[in-house]
Amino acid sequence: MLTSNNKIFHRKKIITLFFLLSFLFLFLLGRLIYLMVWRADHYAELATALHERERSIKAARGRILDRNGTVLADNKTVCTISVIYNQMEDREQVIQVLCKELDLSEEYVRKRVEKYSSMERIKSNVEKAVGDKIREYDLPGVKVDEDYKRYYPYGELASKVLGFTGGDNQGIIGLEVVYEEYLKGEPGQILTVTDAKGIEVDEAGERRKEPVAGNDLYISLDRNIQTYATQLAKQAMATKEAEGVSIIVMNPKDGEVYAMVNVPEFDLNNPYEIPDWYADAMELDVTTLSAEAKQDALNRVWRNGCINDTYEPGSTFKIITAAAGLEEGVVAPNHNFSCPGYIVVDDRKIRCHKVGGHGAEDFVHATMNSCNPVFITVGLRLGVDNYYKYFEQFGLKTKTGIDLPGEAGTIMHKKEDMGNVELATVSFGQSFQITPMQLLTTASSIVNGGNRITPHFGVQTVDEAGNIQKFNYPVTEGIVSEETSATMRSILEMVVSEGGGINGKVEGFRVGGKTATSQTLPRGTGRYIASFVGFAPADDPQVIAIAIINHPKGVYYGGQIAAPIVRQLFENILPYLGIKEYNQYE
Amino acid sequence: MATTKRAKRRKEQSEYFFDYSLLFIVLFLLGFGLIMIYSASSYAAFEEFGDAAHYLKRQAIASVLGLIAMIVVANVPYHFWEKFALLGYLVSAVLIVLVLSPLGVESHKARRWIAIPGTGFNIQPAEVAKLCMILFLAVLVCKMGKSIRTMKGFIFMVLAPLPIAGMIYLITDNLSSAIIVMGISVLMVFVASPDYKKFIVLALFVVAVAALLIYLITSTDLIGGFRSGRILAWLDPESDAQDKGFQTLQALYAIGSGGIWGKGLGQSMQKLSFLPEAQNDMIFSIICEELGLFGAVAIIVMFVLLIWRMMIIANNAPDLFGAMLVVGVIGHIAIQAILNIAVVTNTIPNTGISLPFISYGGSSVIFLLIEIGLVLSVAKRIQLKEL
Repeated sequence: MLTSNNKIFHRKKIITLFFLLSFLFLFLLGRLIYLMVWRADHYAELATALHERERSIKAARGRILDRNGTVLADNKTVCTISVIYNQMEDREQVIQVLCKELDLSEEYVRKRVEKYSSMERIKSNVEKAVGDKIREYDLPGVKVDEDYKRYYPYGELASKVLGFTGGDNQGIIGLEVVYEEYLKGEPGQILTVTDAKGIEVDEAGERRKEPVAGNDLYISLDRNIQTYATQLAKQAMATKEAEGVSIIVMNPKDGEVYAMVNVPEFDLNNPYEIPDWYADAMELDVTTLSAEAKQDALNRVWRNGCINDTYEPGSTFKIITAAAGLEEGVVAPNHNFSCPGYIVVDDRKIRCHKVGGHGAEDFVHATMNSCNPVFITVGLRLGVDNYYKYFEQFGLKTKTGIDLPGEAGTIMHKKEDMGNVELATVSFGQSFQITPMQLLTTASSIVNGGNRITPHFGVQTVDEAGNIQKFNYPVTEGIVSEETSATMRSILEMVVSEGGGINGKVEGFRVGGKTATSQTLPRGTGRYIASFVGFAPADDPQVIAIAIINHPKGVYYGGQIAAPIVRQLFENILPYLGIKEYNQYE
Repeated sequence: MATTKRAKRRKEQSEYFFDYSLLFIVLFLLGFGLIMIYSASSYAAFEEFGDAAHYLKRQAIASVLGLIAMIVVANVPYHFWEKFALLGYLVSAVLIVLVLSPLGVESHKARRWIAIPGTGFNIQPAEVAKLCMILFLAVLVCKMGKSIRTMKGFIFMVLAPLPIAGMIYLITDNLSSAIIVMGISVLMVFVASPDYKKFIVLALFVVAVAALLIYLITSTDLIGGFRSGRILAWLDPESDAQDKGFQTLQALYAIGSGGIWGKGLGQSMQKLSFLPEAQNDMIFSIICEELGLFGAVAIIVMFVLLIWRMMIIANNAPDLFGAMLVVGVIGHIAIQAILNIAVVTNTIPNTGISLPFISYGGSSVIFLLIEIGLVLSVAKRIQLKEL
């Protein structure tokens, strides 16, 4: 059938066909080489990520230590219990054992055990002893992984400063949040090869990536001062039946905070339990609380009044008015005034706290007497523009920048809304609000020679290898002159030695200070805040403290109830800090 | 002296040619396929049937049946089949329609099989149709003689397989088999006709249509549906990893993670249920993962050798009918192998095409072996004197 002519073109075509097909095969070969040589790493990586199930190993969180190296926040080993669906053999037994050992409801455990997932966590933060016990049952599919839980050796101490951590060891409040980056470390991983259904492939084994521990954080807090201040605060709260007492102790030269107390405190090892004091005060039934109401209550319990809340500072703010007046030259210590018991500003009559008036007095005595009309006069002499200028120059409009979360800002009149009446009230510390920390920082800056410091706790971090990283904080120099600062120190020393702050006087030490008693808003409810700011030695301040008593019962004058707290505090901590008595100088 | 002696001995052995190389290549691919099916499917088979060798056993039975059929066909003079050409064409049409009858079997969300009553085995009519089409067109080419060179003849040859291809596409929703049937036909017409121009025009036309379709799908919303989704997944499988691109991406993971030397036989991770139905269309990716580029090249070389052997046979066939039969088989095996590897490497959009002799599939292997039987039968007719 095939003619030779036909055969030739058929053969040609068949050979063409062969080369055409071979060319296509060659092209595919090229594509394969591209995929398997150039793209091999890319796909191998993606495939490995797909095949490996990772279990993370928690990194040990960095500790928090005080200025003397006392550990304030530590870690202890706890266990996380999880189940792997495909590896369990007797689910009923697993449910029964886990319910019993972990004290969980059967419904809760059953839901998780019977959930079809690669790995299901039953409970974390289980005591090591319990974890070991579960491990001894040797149940297939039940994994006991060890990790770390935060532990606070001193329980309530500085609870609102240190803060605590959550289920994943992440900071929730306080320094634990602010220094999260330094403290948390790098979690490690255990990578197990599995098939698509999550069953481990035995021959493949495990890969481990070791965790990197977090850095230790050294803070300026002193456990001894903090403990003593807490005792004093608790005592005052009990005797005055107050709602709360706050104390801050700080170095006025560099802003290192030695103690920050806000009683009542809460237990850092059980932060999610509503303390009895709160439940009693609010008449809450803890057992019937909704989740939302509980969280709301906890947020209130965790509040750090020293920085999260603002108040009207009252007479302690006269330190600022005095410094502004002296700096501007509108008043001098020997200027004479006369107090008839009131002052008329525009159409308003503002009373002095002494109904009969202080009579004739110089500026030093007016400060010692905490005389409102004199300070109103100084304020009016400054005028709104100047007063506002100093308010901003002293740093009162900006936050202190303390290394704690949620610092409240200053609530102040707008400059354009300020008339003489507003100016008059601001001059003696009313009609605006600042935080206690803000007041103490500004007072420090006025008495330390005029340097606005940044209050802080964090001093340095130290990693596992011992590498130190120190923190630096900004300082604004010259907010008042050295001269004004010296004058303020001597006036405030007079306040304590002979004036309204006499109860703050410490035998053998030169102490300066100022008292305040402010009525809380709304006025006329008979609720007061008593406070005292004190510093020592008066000629060269090395420690400054503020004590604030919220809503005391009975006597409520700052000079009578707040000043003694600072006195007792100084009596103990001045020698402890190595500050010499003046009669030791000879 | 020596030459006459040798010639004498040769004459004593056989007057005719038997292509052992072809047989060995086929046996190698078949054996290799069984090993890879076992490797790729044992994990999933054990999960599903409690028997790791489930797929291996079924494929082994089909291979044995296929080999028996191949030996029978190889020993029947191929002209015997000439008279069944039209019958085969009609039988394939009937079988395709039978898919719609109660005998039809649905599997993997597609109704493409019919049950052979009483055996427990299923058969895919599309496989029968491919074999019948090769026979039908080979006979048609011989019948048409020189009229194939006319435009009319060319169009008739191209239209002849269309009804069957259309039925495969419309009734069994099997685009890939329809494409293969058409592909085989075009290659056979290409060899039968002395012309080149028409085929170049045809090829350019197909490329242009494909390009237009891709353009319409990617830059407009005019065309939607399941196949356009596959084209989008083809262009960027990683962006569509959970859906249409899933299988393709899993195959790429397997291929890529194999590297040059592979992970070793049996060491594939992707077959552990990551790559669905690893023993079927995607088996080549498991070969790449376990045996690496090295194994993949070996397989491609085997296919090229297979086609080369068949080309030799076609070129030496005693008549046009024999040559055309072999060309049809070349077309069938080459198109399927090329398209399969192209799909697995994401060179073309995903469509279900199995790798000849290696992928799991009983009908496919039996009919492929019958086709090899035909080729061997043609080879036997080659008189060694002519070589």
